[in-house]
Amino acid sequence: MAQPKQEKQNDVLQGTLDLLILKAVSLGPLHGYGVLLRIQQISGEELVIQQGSLYPALYRLEHQGAIASEWGESENNRKAKYYKLTAAGRQRLQTETEKWNRMSNLIGTILRVTSEEI
Amino acid sequence: MSLRSRIATLWKALTRPEEFHREMTEELSFHIEQRAEDLMRGGVLREDALRRARIELGGIPAQTETMRAAWGTRMWDDLYADIRYALRSFARTPGLTAIAVISLALGIGANTVIFGVTKHILLDRLTAYKPEELRLFAWISPKKSAVHSSWGMSTRTPDGKRLSTSFTYPVYQQLRRQNRVFDDVFAFKEFPRLTATIDAQSEAVSAQMVSGNFYRTLGVQPVLGRPILDSDDGASGSGPVAVISDEFWTRRFGRSPGVVGKTIQLNLTPITIIGVNPRGFTGASSTQEAPDVIIPFSMASIATPVWSKKPLLTDPDLWWVPVMGRVKPGVSDEQARAALDVVLNAAVRSTATIGKDETVPSLILQDGSRGENYASVLFSKPAYVLMALAGFVLLLACANLANLLLARASSRQREMSVRLAMGAGRSRILRQMLTESLLLSCAGGLAGLGLGYCGRNMIPHLLSSSWHAFTSDIEFDWKIFGFTAAISILTGLLFGLAPAWHASRTQVSSGLKDNAQSVTQRSRNVTGKTLVVVQVALSMLLLVGAGLFVRTLMNLNGSHLGFRPDGILLFNLQPPRTRYSEPKDLAFYHRVEERLRSVPGVSAVTLSDMTLIANSNSDTDFTPDGLPKKPNEEDQSANVMSVGQDFFSTMGIRILAGRAFNATDTETSPLVAIVNQTLVKEFFPSNINPVGRTFTQDKQHITIVGIAGDAKYSNLHADPPATFYLPYRQQLSGKQSMTYEISTRMKPAAIVPALRSAVASVDKDVPLLDVRTQQEQIDDTTKQQRIFASLTSGFGVLALILACIGIYGIMAYSISRRTNEIGIRMALGAQPGRVQRMVLREAWWMALIGVAAGLGAALAMGRLIASMLYGLKPWDPVTLGVAALLLVAVALAASWVPALRAASVEPMEALRHE
Repeated sequence: MAQPKQEKQNDVLQGTLDLLILKAVSLGPLHGYGVLLRIQQISGEELVIQQGSLYPALYRLEHQGAIASEWGESENNRKAKYYKLTAAGRQRLQTETEKWNRMSNLIGTILRVTSEEI
Repeated sequence: MSLRSRIATLWKALTRPEEFHREMTEELSFHIEQRAEDLMRGGVLREDALRRARIELGGIPAQTETMRAAWGTRMWDDLYADIRYALRSFARTPGLTAIAVISLALGIGANTVIFGVTKHILLDRLTAYKPEELRLFAWISPKKSAVHSSWGMSTRTPDGKRLSTSFTYPVYQQLRRQNRVFDDVFAFKEFPRLTATIDAQSEAVSAQMVSGNFYRTLGVQPVLGRPILDSDDGASGSGPVAVISDEFWTRRFGRSPGVVGKTIQLNLTPITIIGVNPRGFTGASSTQEAPDVIIPFSMASIATPVWSKKPLLTDPDLWWVPVMGRVKPGVSDEQARAALDVVLNAAVRSTATIGKDETVPSLILQDGSRGENYASVLFSKPAYVLMALAGFVLLLACANLANLLLARASSRQREMSVRLAMGAGRSRILRQMLTESLLLSCAGGLAGLGLGYCGRNMIPHLLSSSWHAFTSDIEFDWKIFGFTAAISILTGLLFGLAPAWHASRTQVSSGLKDNAQSVTQRSRNVTGKTLVVVQVALSMLLLVGAGLFVRTLMNLNGSHLGFRPDGILLFNLQPPRTRYSEPKDLAFYHRVEERLRSVPGVSAVTLSDMTLIANSNSDTDFTPDGLPKKPNEEDQSANVMSVGQDFFSTMGIRILAGRAFNATDTETSPLVAIVNQTLVKEFFPSNINPVGRTFTQDKQHITIVGIAGDAKYSNLHADPPATFYLPYRQQLSGKQSMTYEISTRMKPAAIVPALRSAVASVDKDVPLLDVRTQQEQIDDTTKQQRIFASLTSGFGVLALILACIGIYGIMAYSISRRTNEIGIRMALGAQPGRVQRMVLREAWWMALIGVAAGLGAALAMGRLIASMLYGLKPWDPVTLGVAALLLVAVALAASWVPALRAASVEPMEALRHE
């Protein structure tokens, strides 16, 4: 086997889907399919979200009060349910982002360690 | 996170499921179409695109299910399913369900009724603004104190001190004036009976006299008119006004708003009605009964008792007024007490003369939120005993249900194994079983609440005298609802836990394999049998209780009275003192006596200042002349009664020596007395004939002219006390009221009108009070015993029925489980009689162990209720024996049918059986 092909990242780490959804809707109100497209678009099509877990996650976030929903019209004049970030959701996005950054730095540091440095 | 969004989403999911579902479906279809369009843009055919989009999303029904669950509906959906399943399974076994609900309803209903009464007596607070801030003043003093005469409740503390809540009026005035620690201090006094004349009709009313700041300090406003104010409570006679109770307003004035401003007479003094109290306002004395009228202290002169020699409001020696205050915020009780104690001490020293070595009482503060609270002193023990017995009944019902459900759970083992095998968690099964039992207990609780509501006034009704209705209803409030809800849930858990635990411990494999084929069940069902033993023991306890109280009542009714109550009709007269000041009242009583004698149908008439067997007595020192004083001062007292000349012949009391009173014993003749046998025994040496001797009372010498047989005096419990009788006509200090005893062969209803008009012909303003027969009067003093006898008998019968069901249930169940074993025994040659005996022996043992355990508990209980019994010991062998025999008999009878069924098992069929 030659150069191993770069695989698309398609299973999102547990718990990060919520964070991605929050980020996506923080940029502007979106319907469910729009959330999916925006995440894929931002990731440069690198990340594929399991569509089956998208809606339960959206409903869970709405239940928790991080996002709110509203019926509106889509680009092609269809009735669609739009999600937007609430104040509580904004707060949560911020803390989770900080947590994520801290954790990824930490993991990155650990993974960069070479034997000389110990 | 946000609780609001959680509740809002869950609420929508639960209450508008169709709308919710439609929205979810719409949202998902939109998604699929969008995705399909994107795919089609990439060149896929429409059909294929839609199919792929649907597959990627993973199916709409599955998606909506998880989306719904994301809104927290899982628990509710499970609960809903459990309840539906439970209802279905109850519908399949209607007999079991009915038994369960009915026995729970009876148990919970009984508890609700008794809790209602207990709450009314022990917990209800005064209808006032913040009653918890009220403090009732009281004092405590050693035996030798500056208090010489008092009128009100006083008790002895365990260390022999005297505790009372009555103060003199001058002391109250000083307490109020010099109070710095309370918002205000007010006084009140209960008068059981004043004569009211309304539109020329006289009747008795209950009254409370209050200070001018009473309404203001309690924070109560009349619903109509105005309250009593300080301006009504000025100089004596300055405030001829009254506020009437809601109940009196309804009873006497038909709730007419025109009642305000109306003038009525109280003890023949004109009084203007100025207001109507709110419903449920009972004044400050008790929480049970509302006084018909409330009048200011300035009118004390109209209600002054005959024996009071000085005006009530200025008498420095008579301790009679209860006093209350409302605490200021931030002042501790101890600070308030200390400050007021100083005031009390100074007040007593400045108003009364204190003899040497007499102590001034010291002040203490009591909780005033329930008024003077006499009822709780009198009824707290009976109330607790009834609560305990009702609790046992409920416990018994629980044991019974636990048993039935346990049997049901075993027969559902297969179902449980299937559920477990299909992946149900044990906690899920536990939850479902508990849902079932809680559903049962809630149904029982609801039915019990209904029963309790219907029966809420049963005990107050039993407690009230036939001639004096108990007016206050037991209000059903949140406390009673809370209590019933709590015991329903508690019982549900209690009888549901064992079967639920049992079910959740089912082993998957053995449950599926196991069925009635197992040969012997000996080791099984220990829990069930233990429960039956517990039931028998509880039944034993309740039966013994019932037996003891029934026998107490029988003993009381059968006790030797010493007088003849048959055909004696009683009523009281209380001529207003404003018209009949002493000794004019004696002449009035005598005129009525003479007048009644001529009424057709009356065979004899007499009167007395005390009513026989009415829980009241009058005692005084008895000092025979020429005999040494007794060493112990308390032995010196005897009961006294002032009576009419025909008292002994009318009441059937024998005169053993000397003579009875007669027409020659008048106001002006020499003072005479008749003593009873017990008095002779207690006060005279056997070699002295008391007849003809004298004794001293109030510095006067009274000659004993006769000896009467012993008769019971104030109650049935006590042996006849030492008693001496005086002719009422020689009691020149007057009598507040008298009881007339009329001997007649006619029915009371037939003769009362004639008696009434005879009294009216003497004075139309003096009404007949408390018309009743002597037998009704006697029964009235045993009403508590009667309540106990009837309630405990009811509990006992209930216990027997429940025990019967329990034993039958467990035996029938174990026989059906053992059909196989019995078949084998019989195939091997066991005779049917032998099989039957085997079954009966099992029941016999359970009953015997239960009876023995119950006997121990009953003996322990007996010690607690010993003081409530009469004429028998708490270990009364007859009661214990009958209860034990009854239970064993019931146990054997209940297992007779299952035993017969076991004996008639056909061996071949039994072996094929399942």
